[in-house]
Amino acid sequence: MNTIVVKGLKKSFGKVKAVDNVSLEIKKGEFFGLLGPNGAGKTTLINILTGLLTKDSGTIQILGKDPEKDWEEVKNKVNVSTAYFPLMESLTIRQNLNVFAKVYNLKNPKEKINKLLEEFELTTKADRKVIKLSSGEKTRTSLCKGLLNDPEVLFLDECTAGLDPDIAEKTRNIIKSYQEKHGTTILFTSHYMYEIEELCERIAFMAGGKIITMGTSEELKKLIKDQTIEITVQKGHAELKKLLENEQVDILHAKNNNIIFQVSEGSEKIYTILSKVFKAGFQLSDLHIQKPTLDDIFIKIARDPKK
Amino acid sequence: MKLHRIYAMLLKFWYITINRPDRIFDIFYWPVIDLFVWGFASIFIKQVSEVSFLSMFLGGIVLWIFVWRSSQDIAVYILEDFWGRNLYHQYSSPVKISELLIAVMLFAFLRSVATFGVLTLLAYIMYKFLLFSLAPLIFIAAAISILSLFGWVMGLFVTSLVLRFGQRIQVLAWSSVWVVQPFSCVFYPLSALPQWAHPIAKVLPTTHVFEALRAVLSNNPVNIPSLYYAIVLTIIFLGLASLLIKKAFGHAKSSGLIARGD
Repeated sequence: MNTIVVKGLKKSFGKVKAVDNVSLEIKKGEFFGLLGPNGAGKTTLINILTGLLTKDSGTIQILGKDPEKDWEEVKNKVNVSTAYFPLMESLTIRQNLNVFAKVYNLKNPKEKINKLLEEFELTTKADRKVIKLSSGEKTRTSLCKGLLNDPEVLFLDECTAGLDPDIAEKTRNIIKSYQEKHGTTILFTSHYMYEIEELCERIAFMAGGKIITMGTSEELKKLIKDQTIEITVQKGHAELKKLLENEQVDILHAKNNNIIFQVSEGSEKIYTILSKVFKAGFQLSDLHIQKPTLDDIFIKIARDPKK
Repeated sequence: MKLHRIYAMLLKFWYITINRPDRIFDIFYWPVIDLFVWGFASIFIKQVSEVSFLSMFLGGIVLWIFVWRSSQDIAVYILEDFWGRNLYHQYSSPVKISELLIAVMLFAFLRSVATFGVLTLLAYIMYKFLLFSLAPLIFIAAAISILSLFGWVMGLFVTSLVLRFGQRIQVLAWSSVWVVQPFSCVFYPLSALPQWAHPIAKVLPTTHVFEALRAVLSNNPVNIPSLYYAIVLTIIFLGLASLLIKKAFGHAKSSGLIARGD
C-alpha cells in the first residue's frame, strides 16, 4: 500500500516551474530519499505535501486521503522537520514543545517531551530560548517537534544540515531506529549522499522541478557506467599508455608511471583491458578501481539534467 | 475547530508575553501616559475656563483602550510568528487560521481588560473618576463589545495586509488605529469635525459609541438606534474583514510567503 501518491503535480512561481509534472509513490513504512541540486524543487514539493504551499495542478494522496479535502486529519498524522526553520525563537525549547504538544493534544506531554529532549541531548538546554541555541541545537529542537505526535508520515528536509558529525550520526540512528520501531514513512532530503545511501530504500533525483530518475542506490549507480581505474607500473609507462590508447579508453592522467583512465562500457571491458595488461607482462605496483557513487550521479544530473 | 488548538495558541501568546518585558510593559505604558496628559490638561482647562472636560476625556481614554489594544495586539502577535520564524512549523501543523485568530482575539481582549482595569483604578485614585458610577453597566458592556469587535476588525485588516504584502508593511500594526481615531470622535463631538469628515465618521461604529458615551456622561439619554446602527456596522465590517483575511491567507499559501516564512 502506498502512503504518499503524487500525480502530475505542478507548481510555478511566475515563469519559474518549481515543480513540473512530478509523479511519485512512496510505500507504507518506506524511507524515501529526495536528491537534487539547490533549486531542484525538493523543498517546494515538501511544502506542498505539508500544506504550506498550494499546488497549481495535479493530485496528492497522503495516507489514503486527499489532504486538500481534510488537511486537519492528515496534518494530525504527519509532521515535518527542517534545519532551515527553527521553532519560535522567542520561546524556550520546552515552551515550544509544550505548545505543539497541545496542538497535537498529546496524552502525556511532559513524559514525551522529556524523552525526546533526552534522546536529542537537549535536556540541559530545555529552558533556553531558541534564538540563543547553536544551529545544531536548533535543528535537534526541530526534530523533537517532528517526532512529538508519533507521525505516520515524516518529512525531513535537510534535517541534519549544520550538525557536527557525531550528533549527525546519533540523529540518523535515532531516526533510523524510530522508523524501524514505528514503521513511519519518511521522505528525506539531504545534500549528504552517504546519508541518503545509508538510510533510504529508494531515491528520486530531482532537477529543474522534475524527477529525473528514481530507484534504489544500486539501480541508480548502474545508470552511470563510468568506472575509474588507476594503474601504477614499475616500468613501461609509455607502452602501457599506447596499449590503453588502442583500447580507446578515456585517459585522465598519465605521469610518473601512474595512469588514470575511465571505462564507460562496464566491468567486462575492464576485465578485457586488464587481461591484456597482464598478458603484455607489465609489472603492476598498484591497481585501484573506483565504481560510480551517488555523488557522481548527483554531479552529472546537477550539471546536465537532460542527459 | 478544536478547543485544544485554540488553547495551544493562547499558551503560545502567553509565553511570548511573559518572555518579553516590553509585551508586559506596553499593557500599561501609553494608556497611563495618556491618562496623565489628558487628565492634567482637563484640570488646567477647568481652572482657566470653568468648563470640565475631565469625564469626557477620561471616559474616551478608558474605552478607546478596547479599540487600540484589540487592533494592535492582533497584528503584533501575528507578526510575532514572522519575527520568530514560526510560520513554517505552525502552518504545517493542524492549527487552522480560524483557531489562531480566535485565540489572538481572545488574548487581545484579555490584555484590553488588564489595561482597562489599571486605568480605571488610576483614574479613580488620581481624578476620582469612576466610569461605572457615571454610566449604566449595560451601556458600558455594549460599548466595550462594539469597540472590541471593531478593534478586531482593524487587527484583521492589518493582518490581511501583512499576509498579502509581508513584513514590509508591519508599521501599520502600530499606526492604523490612529488613522481612525480622529474620525471616531473619541474626545470631541461629531459636530466638531469639518463637514467633509462627517460621512467618514458616520460609517465608523466607534463614532456612535463615543457620541453615546458623551450623552451618558452629560446625563442625556443614549441614542439607542444609533448604538444598534453601530452594532450592524461592526458586524458588516467583521464579515468583510473575515473575507479579506481568508483571501489574504490563500494568497500567502499560494505565493509561498508562509512556506518562506518572510
